[in-house]
Amino acid sequence: MSQRNSWRVLLAAAGMLLSTAAQAQDYPTKPITLIVPWPAGGSTDISMRAIAESASKVLGQPIAVDNKAGGGGTVGPATMAAGAKPDGYTIAQIPITVFRLPLMQEVSWDPAKDFSYIVHLTGYTFGVTTNAESQYKTWQDVVDFAKKNPGKVTYATPGTGTSLHIGMEQIALMAGGIKLTQVPFKGGAETNAAVLGQHTMLQADSTGWRPLVDAGKLRLLMVWTGTRSPNYPDVPTLKELGYPMIYDSPFGIAGPKGMDPKIVAKLHDAFKKAIEDPAVIATLAKYDMVPNYKNTEDYRKFVVEVTESERKVIDTLGLAKK
Amino acid sequence: MDTLVNVAHGLGVALLPVNLLYCFIGVFIGTLVGVLPGIGPISAMSLLLPVTLSGTPESGIIMMAGIYYGSMYGGSTTSILVNIPGEAASVVTCIDGHQMAKQGRAGPALGISAFGSFIAGTFSLVALMLVAPSLASVAIAFGPAEYFSLMVLGLVVLTFLTQGSMAKALLMACIGVVLGLVGLDSITAQPRLTFGRIELIDGIGLVPVVMGLFGVAEVLLNTEQAIKRDIINAKITQLLPNKEDWKASAGPVARGTVLGFFLGILPGGGAVVASFASYALEKRLSKHPERFGHGAIEGVAGPESANNSAAGGAFIPLMTLGIPPNVVMALLLGAFVIHGLQPGPLMISQNPTLFWGIVASMYIGNLMLLVLNLPMIGMWVQLLRLPYNVLFPLIILFTIIGVYCSSNNVFDVHVMIAFGVIGYFMRKLGYEPAPLVLAFVLGPMLENNLRKSLILSQGDLMTFVERPISAICLAFALVLLVGPLLPSLRRKRELVALDEGA
Amino acid sequence: MNNDTNVKLRLNNSELWGGLIGLALGGFVIWSGLKLKLGTINDPGSGYVLFYTGILMCVFAISIMVAAVTEGGPSFASRWENARWGKPVLVIACLAAFAFALEPLGFLLSAIPLMLLLLRVIDPVRWSLAIPLSILAPLGMWWVLKHLLAIQLPSGLFEIG
Repeated sequence: MSQRNSWRVLLAAAGMLLSTAAQAQDYPTKPITLIVPWPAGGSTDISMRAIAESASKVLGQPIAVDNKAGGGGTVGPATMAAGAKPDGYTIAQIPITVFRLPLMQEVSWDPAKDFSYIVHLTGYTFGVTTNAESQYKTWQDVVDFAKKNPGKVTYATPGTGTSLHIGMEQIALMAGGIKLTQVPFKGGAETNAAVLGQHTMLQADSTGWRPLVDAGKLRLLMVWTGTRSPNYPDVPTLKELGYPMIYDSPFGIAGPKGMDPKIVAKLHDAFKKAIEDPAVIATLAKYDMVPNYKNTEDYRKFVVEVTESERKVIDTLGLAKK
Repeated sequence: MDTLVNVAHGLGVALLPVNLLYCFIGVFIGTLVGVLPGIGPISAMSLLLPVTLSGTPESGIIMMAGIYYGSMYGGSTTSILVNIPGEAASVVTCIDGHQMAKQGRAGPALGISAFGSFIAGTFSLVALMLVAPSLASVAIAFGPAEYFSLMVLGLVVLTFLTQGSMAKALLMACIGVVLGLVGLDSITAQPRLTFGRIELIDGIGLVPVVMGLFGVAEVLLNTEQAIKRDIINAKITQLLPNKEDWKASAGPVARGTVLGFFLGILPGGGAVVASFASYALEKRLSKHPERFGHGAIEGVAGPESANNSAAGGAFIPLMTLGIPPNVVMALLLGAFVIHGLQPGPLMISQNPTLFWGIVASMYIGNLMLLVLNLPMIGMWVQLLRLPYNVLFPLIILFTIIGVYCSSNNVFDVHVMIAFGVIGYFMRKLGYEPAPLVLAFVLGPMLENNLRKSLILSQGDLMTFVERPISAICLAFALVLLVGPLLPSLRRKRELVALDEGA
Repeated sequence: MNNDTNVKLRLNNSELWGGLIGLALGGFVIWSGLKLKLGTINDPGSGYVLFYTGILMCVFAISIMVAAVTEGGPSFASRWENARWGKPVLVIACLAAFAFALEPLGFLLSAIPLMLLLLRVIDPVRWSLAIPLSILAPLGMWWVLKHLLAIQLPSGLFEIG
C-alpha cells in the first residue's frame, strides 16, 4: 500500500517536472495578463494596450490588460510581486515609482529583488495644464499667485511619489520656495476630470490631456521634455522657464522574481518587435512618446542607476523616509 | 433636424449586413457571459478585443458595445432564479426577484426585467443622442467632495430602507467599508488588514463576497427547512407579465430609467448606486411598502431599468470627454484607440459616421436582445421545476465555477465559502447582507474621495457643506438618519421598512 | 412571546451576542487604524478612515446591545426553532472539505465527490439520478469552460482536467 503511494507521488513529481520543462518550450499556451498600474484611458494604458496588442501577435496568444491603479502606479507591481507565479503569464508595466517609493516610505516590495526585469520600452512627455477658463495664462502667473497665497495652488497628479509629484516639488523649490499642494489621483483619466471640473487648479500628468488641449478645454502651460513638442511648438520647456531639468520617467515591463530566462527571452523578443511596429510607433506618437529600447541586461543596470539618482533627489527635497 | 439626418445616416451604417452580424455576435456573447456569474463582460471583452481588429472600427466597436449591454440583460437571470447576483448592480434584483420566483412568478420577473431593460436601454440611447454634449459637464461637476457626499447618501438611503433594525444595517455598512479597504492603500500603497496573506494584497474580490453572502447562504437557509418539498412550491401559471404587472411596473420603469441615466453619467459606482437608489425610491413611493422583500414586481422593474439605462449614460463621458466612467468603458476606449480614434470633445464632430453608427447599432442590438431573451424565459423557468434537492448542488457547483473564473484563484473559492457561512449566520440573526455589499463596493471610493477632499480643502470640513451638490446630498442623508429618532417619523419608517425575518 | 423565546439579560439572548461581536470587530478596526497611522486632517493617512469607521461600528454595536438589554431579543433556540440545523452544518462541512481538496486534487476529482455527497446527504436523491448527475454536471461545465471559453479550472497534482 505504502509502496504504491510512494510510486504515485514519484509519478506525479516526474509529471510536474516534465510539464515545467515543457512549459518554457511551449510558452505561451494560454492568455497572458499584463498589469497596467494606471486607470484605463490614460496615456500609459492606451500605449501599453497598443504595445501588448502587437506583442500578442508575435507570441500567438492574447495579452489581457488588467488595470490595477493606485499608489502612484505601485499597487499593480506590488500585487504581482506578492502573489503571482513567475510562469510568464503575469507581467506588469513598471513605472519609476516602483524604485522611488521605497526610498520615501515603508513598502511591501524590494525593487532590487522582487522582479524579473524583461525589457525597457519607452518614456513619457509630461506637461502641466490648467482649465482654459482659469486665470493662469502662463506658468509665471501661477508662480506669482503662489507667492502671495502659499499652499493655495492645488495640482492633480497620478499619485504621490510619481515623477509629476517630485518634479512639481523640485520646480516649486527652484521657483523661490513657493508652496503648492499636491492632490494624488490614480491616473490620467481622473486628473483630466479634476482639472476640467476645476476641482484642482492645475494638472501635472503625461499626455492623456492631449485631446482636451486640442479641443481648447485645457491650456498647456509647459512640457517637461528636453526640446519643445512638435505638436505644441508654442509651449515652453522646463529649461526655457529656468528650471534645468528633464523628466520623462522611462518605463519597461517585468515579471515576478525567479522567471525562467527562456520565457524572459521570449517576452523580450515579442515586446522588442512590438515597439518596432509602425502601428505602435504611430500610437505612441499620438502621446508624444518615442520608443526607448533597452535589453534585459541593460534594463537591470538602469534600475540600479535610477535608484541611485532618485535617492539624491528625494534627499534634497526632504522626502526621504525617516 | 440635424439629429434626424444623423440618425438616418447612422442607421445606414448599422444596417450593413456585416455590422448586423457583429452586433448579433456581440449581444449573444453578452447574454451568455451575463448569465454565467463570475464571467463578466470585462473578461469576455478583453479576450475578444484582438478579434475586433480585423474589421472596420465600426464593426469592432459595435460588437464590443453589444457584449456590454447584452451582459446587462443576462445579469438578472441568475439573481431571480437562484439568488446569485452576477455583479453588484443586480444585487437588488435578488431581493424581490428571487421572492417572486419562489412564488412561482419567475416568468413575470424575468419578463419585466427584459422589457424594463429594453425600454430603459432605448430611452437612454435617445437621450444619449440628444443631450450627450451638454451633459458632459455633469460628469466633471462632481469633484472629490461631491463624490464623498453622494456615497454617504447612497449608504444611508439603503440602510434606511433595509428591513429590521437600522443600527444593524449601519453596522453592516461599516463592516462593508472595512472589508472594501482590505489590500494596498490606493494613495500610499501600504498594505492594510492583509494579515500577511499575499492573496489579500489585492483586496477581497467582489464576486466571492456577493456569491457567498447571497448564493451559498441562501442554499444553507433552504436546506434547513424540515419539509421535503420544492422551494418553488407555487404553480407556475404565467410566463410573461400580465396587465396588472404592467400597471404596477410602468412608474418604476420610467423613474428607474431617468434615475439610472443621470447616475450612469457619473464615473465610478453609477450603475450600482442607480439600482439601489431606484429600489429605495420605489419602496418609498409605494402604497404598499410592506410588499417589498416579498416579491413586489416594482422592486424588480425599477432597479433593472435603472442599471440598463445607466449603461447608456456611461457612454456620455467616454464619447464627449474621453473619460471612461468604468472598466468596461475603458476597454471600449482601448478599442477606439487601437483603431486610431481618440474619444474626446472633438470625436462626435470629427467622426460622425462612427458615433452615429454605434448609437444606431445599439438600438438594433437592444431589439435583438428582446427577441433573443423572451423565448429563453420559458427555458429558464423549466429549470425551477427541478426538485430542490437536485437543484441546490447544481447551484453550489455554479457558484464555485463562477468564482473561480472571475479570478483564476482557488483562494477566492475559500473566501466565497467563508462568506456563505457568515451570511447564513447573519441572516439567522437578522442582519441583512445588502448594505454590506453596497458599502463594500463604495467603501474604497468613499475613502479615497474623503482623503482627497480633505487635502484639497486643507483640512477644512466646511468644504462638504459649502459646495451645493455635496450639501444637498448630506442634508438628505441627515434627514434620513435623524428621522427615525423622532417618534412620528419612526412610526412611518416602521411602516416603510419591513419586519426582520422576511 | 413567552420567556423562552424573548429574553432580556440572559446569556442566550442572540441580539446581545450579535452586538458583542460587532463591538469586538469595531475595537479591532480602531486598533488597526491606529497602527496604520491616522495622519492629520489636512493629509489623512492610511488608518484615518479605518479608525473612524471603527468608532462608528462600536457606537452601532453598543446601541444594538442596549436595545437587547432593554427591549429583549429572541434567544438562540427560538431562531433555530423548527429548523433542521444539522443539514446546513453538513453542507458547510462538505464545502470545507471541498475547499481543502480543490487545490491538490483538481476540479474534477473534488467536484464530483462533492456533488455526490450533496445529492445524497441532505434530501437523498435516488442513486440512479445522483451518480450520472454528479459526474456529468462538473464534466460538462469543465468541458465548456476549457474548450469554448479557454478557461482552465485547477487540474491538481495529478494533472486531471
